[in-house]
Amino acid sequence: MKFYDAVVIGGGVLGCFTARNLRRWNISVLLIEAAEDVCTGITRSNTAIVYSGCDNKPNSLKAHMTVRANAEFEALCQELEVPFKRCGSLMVSCGPKGNAVLQKKLEKGRLNGVPGLRILSAAEALELEPALTKGIHSALYAPSTGTVNPWQFGIAAFENAIYNDCAVSLHNRVLAIQKYTGGYVVETEQGSVRCRVLCNCAGLQAAQVQEMLFPPSVRIVPDAGDYLVLDKSVVGPKHIIFHESEESGKGLTAVPTVEGSLLLGPTKRPCTEEYAAVERNELESLQKLTQEILPDVDLKLQIRSFAAVRPNPQHVIEKNGQYLPDGRSINSFVIEEPAPGFYSLIGIKTPGLTCADQLGAYLARKAADYLQADKNMRFVSKRMAIKQARQLEYKARAALVAQAPDYGEIICHCEDVTRAEVLAAIDRGAVDINGVKRRVGAGLGRCQGGRCRLAVEALLKEAGHEGL
Amino acid sequence: MKDCELLIIGAGVAGLTAARTAAESGCHQVVLVDSKAKPGGVLLQCAHQGFGQGLTGPQYIEQLLRDFPKQVELQCATTALSISKDKVTVLSGAKTGLQRLRFQELIFAAGCREIPAGALQLAGTRPEGVYTAGQVQEMMNLQYRVPEGPAVILGSGDLGLIMAGQLSASGCKVNALVEQREKCGGLPRNQLYLERYALPLLCNSTVSRVYGERKLEGVVVHNRQSGKEYHIPCRTLLIAAGYTPERTLIQGLGAPEWLQLCGNCKAVHSMIEGVIQEGKTAGTKAWRNIRSGVC
Ligand SMILES: Cc1cc2nc3c(=O)[nH]c(=O)nc-3n(C[C@H](O)[C@H](O)[C@H](O)COP(=O)(O)OP(=O)(O)OC[C@H]3O[C@@H](n4cnc5c(N)ncnc54)[C@H](O)[C@@H]3O)c2cc1C
Repeated sequence: MKFYDAVVIGGGVLGCFTARNLRRWNISVLLIEAAEDVCTGITRSNTAIVYSGCDNKPNSLKAHMTVRANAEFEALCQELEVPFKRCGSLMVSCGPKGNAVLQKKLEKGRLNGVPGLRILSAAEALELEPALTKGIHSALYAPSTGTVNPWQFGIAAFENAIYNDCAVSLHNRVLAIQKYTGGYVVETEQGSVRCRVLCNCAGLQAAQVQEMLFPPSVRIVPDAGDYLVLDKSVVGPKHIIFHESEESGKGLTAVPTVEGSLLLGPTKRPCTEEYAAVERNELESLQKLTQEILPDVDLKLQIRSFAAVRPNPQHVIEKNGQYLPDGRSINSFVIEEPAPGFYSLIGIKTPGLTCADQLGAYLARKAADYLQADKNMRFVSKRMAIKQARQLEYKARAALVAQAPDYGEIICHCEDVTRAEVLAAIDRGAVDINGVKRRVGAGLGRCQGGRCRLAVEALLKEAGHEGL
Repeated sequence: MKDCELLIIGAGVAGLTAARTAAESGCHQVVLVDSKAKPGGVLLQCAHQGFGQGLTGPQYIEQLLRDFPKQVELQCATTALSISKDKVTVLSGAKTGLQRLRFQELIFAAGCREIPAGALQLAGTRPEGVYTAGQVQEMMNLQYRVPEGPAVILGSGDLGLIMAGQLSASGCKVNALVEQREKCGGLPRNQLYLERYALPLLCNSTVSRVYGERKLEGVVVHNRQSGKEYHIPCRTLLIAAGYTPERTLIQGLGAPEWLQLCGNCKAVHSMIEGVIQEGKTAGTKAWRNIRSGVC
């Protein structure tokens, strides 16, 4: 049976950053992911925001981590060559309730050390962000808020972990965990491995994974949110806009993404399944709120809608030998250590993406302490992204095409993605069209793969991936 | 940088006709580019006999290309990436590399794109098996694959009907065509498929929901008049909801004298004859402009 110092269960953004951070130490690591590719769980569908930290309870771990993560985000994204845009955010209020909320967030944010927070008058806010409705009362401006491509962010950490000799087992589900003296035996679909440290980053399944060995303590109750995406030709806000309706209490978040599209959502509603289905009335309420707050945004430019499942961790109570969630969502990050060397991140929701590197580093430090591991002097933090033709000026692009002709063939016309980029995505682990889309953006644009999907599928097939 | 008199973007019926017209009128340097490997545009994937005197798309293109004027420099597998206000385009191709080309006149004939499922208010999951009708047409006629049946088709315009006919003929059962208007939207000759294959046409209806976790399992069809909903099982959903003229490249240009549009990027046509007419007009006018500019 193979042995690793540490096994990471789950290849979402948290598992990927945990694996990468573990390799900063002399710790041998195996990452196990049930799906065929990484970043296909919660990390696939989220709001892509790098939060400032003005929403979190002062002095909490979440607040510390968010503010720190935000400050370090540029450097991290440069190191990993991931698109990040510090566009700032405006939380707008249209009435007295909203004004009070802004005031509270301002105070919290200041206590948390969020830089540059200010409350703007309606006129100031409109000058900064002309896309807003004239009907606003005031706005909380957080210049440090940003947005990142969440897929490329997670995948970059994954690639960098592999570069630093992290072992990986994809399309392999963890079925059971046993204890043995000095560590754990992880039983998977493809056999068993032993380890001393276990990092449970199984996202929506994290509670189940912990319960493979320990009694229930926290259970995840899912709810769902719906999103709309508008084509990048939209004339919309330059900042991230947050708003909560005075009457309905419904929220709107509008994110001008790094790709240039406008992401609207998420709504919040109950759901029962572990996978999400879009609800039409939710889309309609999103559209209505958008019209109210961003009146000039052309909703006819919609190119996609999707839904996401949100994990809400709750403590369990025992009742007649049955364990039931207690009905109250836990607000702080749930990081459990049910036994030495066993660490769980359970139901990490917003701002889990923002804090991925912080959380990963946190688990890695705990593991390193426990294993008394030294620093890995050969760790290379730099990751090279797939070179994108569209990012280059004419001369550089011409030189690239001359040297590698596949960069001349455009596969995705909407997003200007070349054959070379699609091949690189496949080479780096994409097994289906969505994997290609997440890595290089083919199919992300206004025709939603209408024109490139068959071409991408053909290239996948040539590489031996049959698809569904 | 290279120069030419006339640049034509898109070598479908409109672009080919414009190129021929301009060349035959006397234009010496016509550059015609297309991102596909062969000229012909969308007609290359049309296997039905709907063009001219009962020809298929490829046959019709073959006819158009016969004795094609030598002055036209045809660059296939070449994509125009940008067009600037000072009349320079950047072209990209694996064989031709990246090149800048200056032109005097531009005819834009880039066709149209299909409205994707994502633009509709579709509730439900996002499984595999949802295609635009044109994708399925391309799949069947250029890759010789038949999608998994049974199928449901959203939209009973010409493409929806043609694909219903072709799928039925290929042994893929079509469980329903769903049409939001009160009657079928296609040409009478294409409506014949409904009878021939006894296809259920559900009018006043729309697909309101798709289900299936990874793979499509079915759709919910909502009838607007009765308010009733029907579950229809299917493994493939074809979206034949219409087209958008493809004008992304010329978006910021306004309407300069030197730019003309023809074919489906100008307005979506249901008959090829109208496209030919527009191609001829654009070609004639471009040559007239070039000549008067030179004099
Ligand atoms: C709707 C929504 C919006 C959000 N927006 C933001 C935002 O704007 N900004 C922000 O900072 N954060 C945001 N978040 C939070 C952030 O997205 C999450 O915290 C983060 O993606 C969680 O990553 P993860 O790795 O825990 O989960 P996942 O990405 O779900 O990864 C878990 C992985 O574990 C695998 N797995 C599970 N069980 C097993 C097993 N038995 N064996 C092997 N593998 C297994 C799964 O297949 C999965 O790939 C949002 C969250 C939600 C739900």
